[in-house]
Amino acid sequence: MSYQLSLTLVQQPEVLERVLRVVRHRGFKVTKMEMQLEGDQGVRLAMHVESERAIELLTNQLDKLFDVIDCRVQA
Amino acid sequence: MQMEQGQTQQGNSEAGQADSGQMMRGADAVIKVLVDHGVTNIFGYPGGAIMPIYDALYGAPVEHLLSRHEQGAAFAALGYARATGKTGVCFATSGPGATNLVTSLADALLDSVPVVAITGQVSTAVIGTDAFQEIDVLGMSLSCTKHSFMVTEIEQLVPTLYKAFEIAASGRPGPVLVDIPKDIQIAMFEYSTPIQEKYPQPQADPSKLDDALILLKQANKPMLYVGGGVGMARAVPQLRAFIQATGVPSVATLKGLGTIEKDTSGYLGMLGMHGSKAANIAVQECDLLIVVGARFDDRVTGRLASFAEHAKVIHLDIDAAELGKLRLPEVAIAGDLRQVLPALTTELAIAPWCEEVEQLKAEHKWKYDRPGELIFAPAMLKRLADKLPEDSVVTCDVGQHQMWVAQHMWFRNPEDHLSSSGLGTMGFGLPAGIGAKVSRPDATVVVVSGDGSFMMNVQELTTIKRRKLAVKILLIDNQKLGMVKQWQQLFFEERYSETDLSDNPDFVTLASAFDIPGRTITTTDQVEEALDHLISCEGPYLLHVRIDDAHNVWPLVPPGASNRDMMEEMDKQT
Repeated sequence: MSYQLSLTLVQQPEVLERVLRVVRHRGFKVTKMEMQLEGDQGVRLAMHVESERAIELLTNQLDKLFDVIDCRVQA
Repeated sequence: MQMEQGQTQQGNSEAGQADSGQMMRGADAVIKVLVDHGVTNIFGYPGGAIMPIYDALYGAPVEHLLSRHEQGAAFAALGYARATGKTGVCFATSGPGATNLVTSLADALLDSVPVVAITGQVSTAVIGTDAFQEIDVLGMSLSCTKHSFMVTEIEQLVPTLYKAFEIAASGRPGPVLVDIPKDIQIAMFEYSTPIQEKYPQPQADPSKLDDALILLKQANKPMLYVGGGVGMARAVPQLRAFIQATGVPSVATLKGLGTIEKDTSGYLGMLGMHGSKAANIAVQECDLLIVVGARFDDRVTGRLASFAEHAKVIHLDIDAAELGKLRLPEVAIAGDLRQVLPALTTELAIAPWCEEVEQLKAEHKWKYDRPGELIFAPAMLKRLADKLPEDSVVTCDVGQHQMWVAQHMWFRNPEDHLSSSGLGTMGFGLPAGIGAKVSRPDATVVVVSGDGSFMMNVQELTTIKRRKLAVKILLIDNQKLGMVKQWQQLFFEERYSETDLSDNPDFVTLASAFDIPGRTITTTDQVEEALDHLISCEGPYLLHVRIDDAHNVWPLVPPGASNRDMMEEMDKQT
């Protein structure tokens, strides 16, 4: 299955590594990604991922990251 | 735990406010934040990049225990935390100091232990130049901590440390690492106490509580599966009240042991790969599984698809990510167990099921009668549990002895049994016992170890010697890596690859090099007196027990099998 995620992150030097590590470790493959800084504090990240696993297994883990402000699955 | 921690922080923060405006070094601020958080003991090892912090520590009102390896320091911090619920703190320098923390932090992550690790780092100007003792600690920490920080601006140092304590102890607890470059440690700045930040915690949804109550009332054969989360949430009284009111039979995970009192009606002990047969049968038979602060670990469930396959599931946990991760529950409630459990406490009409469970319990009692003179470890551990005073902590390592402790000893509280559960780290027991003794100095602390595990952090005997800690060591020796060898025997055609430890050192002589007295026993008739001496003697002691090496851990659910298919004892009688 393919999913489209939209994330709002706190601007930290390692925040992309944190997100990508969780995506990989929880069994998802990134197929497309676009990231943009938002002002001094935020990061907007749009990501397409693929996996046989339910997307909640990923979003629940991403929601736990302290630098993830918002994580949504696009319809 | 959160309330207590919060009150401590609040109280000390008022004192901290008075110090706002004071000029100090970053290193001095580190120690001040620790003291203001009620930290009384730190475990660590100095080195180049953390020297300013060790300089600030000199003469400070906080006690530092020098370990002899950073893994030992961090495990001691874990033991300190697990025996009390307080947040443990450890220090390490940059590079190898920090890399040596990894295993312990991973252990704390999998077992949800609140720990704050502070590491020195090379100065910001040389980060990324492969400077001496430089490694990317922040990058390294991502997979083995709940959260981590690198402080690159002095103004962020104190707020970051406050956040670290809050994150470590809140919600589902875990390890937090703060990496502090040396120039930040020596920078002068004006101290300011930050405003406390509280991370929002999930609140139980009332409609789901109603749904759970309906399932409870409908169930004919409900079963409670209790994990370490109950103890971590300080919800043991609420869980015991729930059991008393509902009468629901229960089982526990390795980390859940001690949560339910041993003589509780319907309590069947540990479930899973080495659980009791009664526990596994009852869980397979139940029609409603109430999972409390547990996470369907594969060592608990066996083949997941056939685990409690006829049961509906109510899953209660503070961590929403655990709900539905491995088993889709009919009702999932994320919230504080201290509030959720009382809301579900109700009387149930399940007498026939309770009788069935009691019958299972009677049918599958452990058997301790063994012929021969050689020492049967399960019987010895049962005796040890019966002899220990009320205020006791048992730490153990990993392997056969760990499973015998879980099966045959009993505990009054989850804080009294410290076992590396999720990560299964050999070498945990000795330093964790040191931490437990420091945090609960009046408790009798017994480290139950194996001849394989003991050697993994044996250098920490020096910490016992240095601090004259009355840590009691029960070293169970079968001259092999017993658990691995058991699997080689059962699943690898008896090809015993690298599991022979018959060239072990003389453990009593080894202990004596650290001024720790000890003796070796080899026969059953020596056990009673030796255990009595171990418990009652002053100071540290090593009781080295050469056990009957013919015994393995039984019963056993083979990997990939259903918990219904337990292998029964097949040891040759000696």
